[in-house]
Amino acid sequence: MTQPAARAYWITWVMLLALLVLTFALAHVRLGNLNAAVSLAIGAMKALLVALVFMKLRRASTLLAVFAVAGLLALAILFGLSGADYATRATTPAPWTSP
Amino acid sequence: MSEHTLGPAERAWRSETVSLGMWVFLLTEVMFFGVLFLAYFHVRHADPEGFGIASRHVHEWLGTFNTAILLTSSLSMALAVQAASGDDRKRLVRLLAVTGLLGAAFMGVKATEYFLEWKDGLVPGPGFRYSGAHRRTVEEFFFLYFVMTGVHAIHLTVGIGAVAWNALVARRERHVTRREDAIEALGLYWHFVDVAWVFLYPFFYLVLLYK
Amino acid sequence: MSYLTEGFSLRSWLFTKDHKRIGILYAIAITGFFFLGGIAATLIRMELATPAGDLVGADTYNKLFTLHGVVMVWFFLIPSIPSTLGNFLVPLMIGAREVAFPRLNILSWWIYVLGGIFVVLTLVLGGVDTGWTFYTPYSTMFSNSYVVMAAAGVFVVGFSSILTGLNFIVTIHRMRAPGMTWFRMPLFVWSQYATSLILVLATPVLAMTLTLMAVERLWHIGIFDPALGGDPLLFQHLFWFYSHPAVYIMVLPAMGVASEIITCFARKRVFGYKFMAYAILGIAGFGFLVWGHHMFVSGQSIYAGMVFSLLSYMVAVPSAIKVFNWTATLYKGSIEFSAPMLYALGFVGLFTVGGLTGLFLAALAVDVHLTDTYFVVAHFHYIMVGGTVMAYLGGLHFWWPKVTGRMYPETFARVAAVVMFFGFNLTFFPQYILGYLGMPRRYHEYSPDFQLLNVLSSAGASILAVGYLLPLVYFTWSIFRGRRAPPNPWHAKGLEWATTSPPPKDNFDTMPEVPTVPYEYDPREVAA
Repeated sequence: MTQPAARAYWITWVMLLALLVLTFALAHVRLGNLNAAVSLAIGAMKALLVALVFMKLRRASTLLAVFAVAGLLALAILFGLSGADYATRATTPAPWTSP
Repeated sequence: MSEHTLGPAERAWRSETVSLGMWVFLLTEVMFFGVLFLAYFHVRHADPEGFGIASRHVHEWLGTFNTAILLTSSLSMALAVQAASGDDRKRLVRLLAVTGLLGAAFMGVKATEYFLEWKDGLVPGPGFRYSGAHRRTVEEFFFLYFVMTGVHAIHLTVGIGAVAWNALVARRERHVTRREDAIEALGLYWHFVDVAWVFLYPFFYLVLLYK
Repeated sequence: MSYLTEGFSLRSWLFTKDHKRIGILYAIAITGFFFLGGIAATLIRMELATPAGDLVGADTYNKLFTLHGVVMVWFFLIPSIPSTLGNFLVPLMIGAREVAFPRLNILSWWIYVLGGIFVVLTLVLGGVDTGWTFYTPYSTMFSNSYVVMAAAGVFVVGFSSILTGLNFIVTIHRMRAPGMTWFRMPLFVWSQYATSLILVLATPVLAMTLTLMAVERLWHIGIFDPALGGDPLLFQHLFWFYSHPAVYIMVLPAMGVASEIITCFARKRVFGYKFMAYAILGIAGFGFLVWGHHMFVSGQSIYAGMVFSLLSYMVAVPSAIKVFNWTATLYKGSIEFSAPMLYALGFVGLFTVGGLTGLFLAALAVDVHLTDTYFVVAHFHYIMVGGTVMAYLGGLHFWWPKVTGRMYPETFARVAAVVMFFGFNLTFFPQYILGYLGMPRRYHEYSPDFQLLNVLSSAGASILAVGYLLPLVYFTWSIFRGRRAPPNPWHAKGLEWATTSPPPKDNFDTMPEVPTVPYEYDPREVAA
């Protein structure tokens, strides 16, 4: 299998560490609800970098890419449909339940 | 037939087959961790405020430092895979050693964190001594924290063992290309463990750092 | 020199890397568990012959139906067709010499055995009484039985499923013979592929869910107990995210087997082959979207219930495509009622009844009445026993000459098929009525009003038991005394019939090429 140049790996590593510093710094800034979204988005970017470069998905066959993404689709179903329950469920706490 | 005499077509075919096998395995790992993430969202959604308070009790500097260690280990792992397919035995063994040591360093830091949290009485169960506001959510937070980082640590331990084993085998191998598929698969696994941590890190350490 | 004569030592079997031998190892192991689960079922039906709880007490009864469920689902039905016939046939059918990862394959069998040891240990120590579903909070807070041990068995055996699924996916993608394009693959291989996808996507979810359940039981900290800030319905969501697709793990391979047998003994090409393949994938896909229909009365949001109800109805579409296409395959065929064909036709009929009654249960309002009654029990037994077990036995008969190199006694086999079909319907059809009348499941006593139908059901069960013992006897006999089988006794198409019976160790003496689509049968030629 053809290997990407070492330089690409080093650049990726620098980007990953930069993103790490960025997310750590942004977490200290009050952004309200955005804080969670930002840290999740930066996490996703880091994961994408690792997957595309280190795990070579960038150059991988369609087959490998499909299997790499399939888990996310299945999780989307799990989160989506159980979320549909949680989002619309009417809860009536028992009288003895502490709030 | 000694395997390093395989032609380029067979080498590519075998490499793709082994990679596919590893990707399917990682698919199962994604689902495995997925359950924990669903539980995480459930607890966090139920009491966001208590969840934020709980997150202030973990050591974010240690966590951040550890993330940097793990990301760096992924770099050395990627370079090791490259060395294996370039038939550079010395470089491969050296890079695998670096990778394994970085993994061990991560485990050391993680163990330190666990020890500090144990001393603070934050381990859920009978030894849980936190008694401030949102006690229930704080205990759930630490339950998820220990289970999720614990499952991650188990995966990393397996990875360190496999890296060490491959380094030992490669040392005696005349042509390390014989091992390139195994090391390629090991690399995919290592990077996956890294990716899992990339999500665990903001989920536990960065929830509520601002004042 | 066949794969059976490659070595006779125990070691040459227990540590083999030959997918054919592994298939046989699995067949032996699951047969043992089938009869273990069968004994539990027999005791259940004996207890239910009278309204009073006179044979066993409530606790023992709870442990019996739990044992029956756990063993039959995870140690028989899930591995039944994939791990035995699938292991044996998938490489043969696609023209490969082995599976992609032979060592993982034998490892998966050993993991199965390890999981089986946990379950037997649970039984020896005193059993488990949660039902196969392990619902919280009963399993985590109240049950005084060996819950963790049983869950450990299910956890472990899950990894054997995962390894089998992984192996099949990679094998089917990477090991096909020259010319074996996707739309030249037999439907059995398609069904194994779809099943494998479900296995690798769903099984890890069960494994982690059971782990969390065990942690909560052992340390009283977790995410399912409301008192701790958790949600018991979360367990049900996660459990059924696995266990509903698991139903398709059980029935998709059965559909594959039925397609192979019906086309062969009708001497006609499968009607709408491509639609059959798409329907297999469709069922596997829809299977992930419908789990909430097990939770209609659990306290789940009614809006989510509506979504799940609608999605559940959609599973009927690809399922109906399959039934219609089997029927259309029979139409104007030259049908021979050989033993495998009797089993396959039995499968189609019973699956249809089971599938249609599934629609009743998918309807929100009707389900409120029928939940946790014998209607549900009858419904899923029509799918799993009437469907999967019939097809599994049909497949065993169909490929028996290929696997063992011996012919089974045809008359006995036909008699057994008819006995089973009759016994099955007598056992389970009365349970539909019982459920409709409101008899709840999982009780060892019941109102005397229900006795007549229960006696019929128990009588049917004894006939069914005889039906299941027959093949055990004549198959064993045929291994030693059966007539030698020719390479292709049914004049069937497909690569597995192109090699000797039993096949050589490397499956083919010369590597096969595949010039045409599958199932080139012609009704004008008559089967021998």
